Amino acid sequence: MTTARMDLLDPYEVAQLGDIELVARGVVEGFLAGLHRSPFRGFSVEFAEHRPYQPGDELRYLDWKILARADRLFVKQYEEETNLRSMIVLDVSRSMDWAGSERRLTKLEYAKRLVAALALILLRQRDATGLIGFDEEVRAVVRARARHRHWWPLLSAVVSLTAGGGTVAEPALRQVTDLLRRRGLVIFVSDLLLDRDLALLALQYLRHRGHQVTVFHIMDPGELSLEGPPEARFEDPETGDSLVARPRELRTVYEDTVHRTIQQWRAACRGGGIDYHHVLTDTPFGYVLRRAAASRSRLG
Amino acid sequence: MIGFLQPLALLGLAAAAIPPLLHLMGRRLPPTVLFPAVQYLTATEREHSRRLKLRNLLLLLLRVAIILLIVLAVARPVARVGAGTAHPPTALALIVDNSLSSGAVVAGQRVLDVLMQRARHVLARTAAGDRLWLVLADGIPRRISRGEAAAVLDSLTPWPLRLDVAEAVRAGARAAAAAGLPVWEVVLLSDLQATAFSPGDPATARVLAWEPPEVPQNRGIDSAYAEPPVWSPEGAVVAHIGGSWEGAAAVRLAINGGDVARAVARPGDRAALAASGPRRGWLVASVQLDPDELRADDRWWLALQVADPAAVRAEPAVGRFVQEAVSVLQGGGRAREGSEVVLTDRPRDGVALVFPPHDPSLIGSVNRALAARGIGWRYGELVEGEWTLTGEVGPAEGAVIYRRYRMRGSGVVLARVGGEPWLVRAGNQVLVASRMEERWSALPISAAFIPFLDLLINRVAATESWTVQAAPGAAVVFPPGAEALLLWGGPAVIPGDGRLAAPLEPGVYLVRGTGGDTVGALEVNHDYRESQLAPASPRVVRATLGADAHVLGGQALDRELFGGARRAELTGLLIAAAILAAVAELALASVGRLKRRE
Repeated sequence: MTTARMDLLDPYEVAQLGDIELVARGVVEGFLAGLHRSPFRGFSVEFAEHRPYQPGDELRYLDWKILARADRLFVKQYEEETNLRSMIVLDVSRSMDWAGSERRLTKLEYAKRLVAALALILLRQRDATGLIGFDEEVRAVVRARARHRHWWPLLSAVVSLTAGGGTVAEPALRQVTDLLRRRGLVIFVSDLLLDRDLALLALQYLRHRGHQVTVFHIMDPGELSLEGPPEARFEDPETGDSLVARPRELRTVYEDTVHRTIQQWRAACRGGGIDYHHVLTDTPFGYVLRRAAASRSRLG
Repeated sequence: MIGFLQPLALLGLAAAAIPPLLHLMGRRLPPTVLFPAVQYLTATEREHSRRLKLRNLLLLLLRVAIILLIVLAVARPVARVGAGTAHPPTALALIVDNSLSSGAVVAGQRVLDVLMQRARHVLARTAAGDRLWLVLADGIPRRISRGEAAAVLDSLTPWPLRLDVAEAVRAGARAAAAAGLPVWEVVLLSDLQATAFSPGDPATARVLAWEPPEVPQNRGIDSAYAEPPVWSPEGAVVAHIGGSWEGAAAVRLAINGGDVARAVARPGDRAALAASGPRRGWLVASVQLDPDELRADDRWWLALQVADPAAVRAEPAVGRFVQEAVSVLQGGGRAREGSEVVLTDRPRDGVALVFPPHDPSLIGSVNRALAARGIGWRYGELVEGEWTLTGEVGPAEGAVIYRRYRMRGSGVVLARVGGEPWLVRAGNQVLVASRMEERWSALPISAAFIPFLDLLINRVAATESWTVQAAPGAAVVFPPGAEALLLWGGPAVIPGDGRLAAPLEPGVYLVRGTGGDTVGALEVNHDYRESQLAPASPRVVRATLGADAHVLGGQALDRELFGGARRAELTGLLIAAAILAAVAELALASVGRLKRRE
């Protein structure tokens, strides 16, 4: 039972229980167990057909539009989509290798576990799943395969990725178009500390090509607020840029800036039909997966 | 124009540099913090940098302003408010220094006349609602009307007194402050002698001192005394010449109006004027200098007593030390052979100086003889110890006594040991409690013994008279037996406690005793400090009278007169401003975490 509910535990504590594989398995088991009691049908579920309502059917599956138009009771039936090809794009830039507290995973460690869990779920649904790791260039590519055993090379690639240099997303996203020839699912996992306009352009291009796109915006809670000594030189580990500031003076307006940035990402993604999830690294993996699954369901 | 009551506090203005220094020091080497979201921070700083810089600048200015305002408040600034000649009702203490030195003549005009002219000008500026106190050389503030003050000034002359200007200012300030008016001032019209500023508390009022005219060179007689005190009939008068005049001057000794001796001396010299008394008894003498710009200190009065030495006989019972000493005095002319004064071991007819008998068993018969003569003193038990002699014993003051008889009884006590009588007098009998032998006292084997015996014979046993020196108007304590002071207008009775004020006029005044004879003399002379005309600097005036004392020229005095009524202390205003600045600083610092924009 412990592993069954691993998806709901604190990520840092979960990470202490074992390696990425164990954590991913535990999270997925817990997630799928919870799914049986939820209205969500997974990441790759799609609408299949209508059938007449029968007593006992859950009202939440009732098609209210048909009821309104034709005054007839129909329920929607779903079926798992097969042959969906998905590609997970993971940001492994240096900025990802940071945690605001020793009691939290770095953004990269958190993202690796999330990616492993996502890949396992997709593969269990018999979706072909691939991986691209990038920083300022493409660091690793694992082509999409639907075999269940394909999780192992994926997992191996995830584990082997280490934090690199800067962040340039376009080459990686461009490569997705080469790897996903037909309509598929692109999952972009990054702290989004990159050129937003260029990244959005690339993501919208993917959307234009018919791909479904989901963005996981990974952020450490320490980035939401500005803490530190009365005066400090804040240095970007990725670019080396620095700035002397007094947290007490800037804290409030900094929080404004961060929230505004998140809202801008959210609005831009929504406008482009992109699924956007803001993820803090102290959020249990199960919550993130459920939120993403629910969002995917609505899209479907 | 702004002045400060505590200008030294302005040194604290340097503290205004503390906030900028702390700011600069705090900027050095801040710690580096790795933070990947620097781009958010950069965007934030870019958007708000102007506001932040402005806010920080305002905070810095406010902190500096708080320190400046507090320091300025501690310095107690005063500023002129309003203008014009009208002034609110003011309590004014007007000090006109008509002390002895005001009689000095400068450029053909007496200093006092210049001071009175200025005083009349001040009086003309007073208004109906003002209250006036006039302080003259006696230092006593007198409540007075403007008309009465003008009348006093019209008849004012230099008094032969010394005025302690600082004390007069303090007294005037107290009187004016007690008037209950919101504003009070002291106007000081004086030659501002440096010797007239005694240390003490600052005056409790604004003091406007008129800058005195240039003072002349002066010389005076600081003191004079007869040597020896009793001439027989030759003697000398030693005069101490004071003042700042560098040149030599003639010094003359006059006795009963006639010059008897002359010398030349400079300030700082001691001139000895030898002469012979023209007759026995009391003589009035004076030492005079050639006249200068200040005449009142050029003469010194003194009383001379001319008398033959006492005729003395020492009986063998008094011991060899006394006998030898008497022989020495007789050989030196300080005593004659005879029986006017008998030195003995029991009471005798006539004047006797009685020492205890060698044999203690004889004390009883001595006491019986004393009782038979109606003398109130008795020899008591013999005690031993070590005591110090104090009293009218001249050179024997401080001599050590080892053995003595306790003196029982009452009467005139001339000297004591251990707080008990040792040398007493009853009529013409003078009793000594110790024998003059080395086992009884260290006195017989000391150099002071013969002068001590001279004193006993010529002044105590022979009831030699005394002189008392005093300044004009000073309180005098006369010795016992003084009954009346012989003034020119008639005798003044001396009260039982011997206290009486000296006459204001310098001179020699004889004192009549209870028996009707002249028993002493009072010498009234000027205070030598009045001869020192050098003025005090404005710094000394301020140091003595407080920071709100100002030495001003004529025009400045006119301008500042009643200025206190138009001057306000800004301390409260500055404190209020500092509090406002502190509140503003607190508010600004509290919203330092800039408000979230809606």
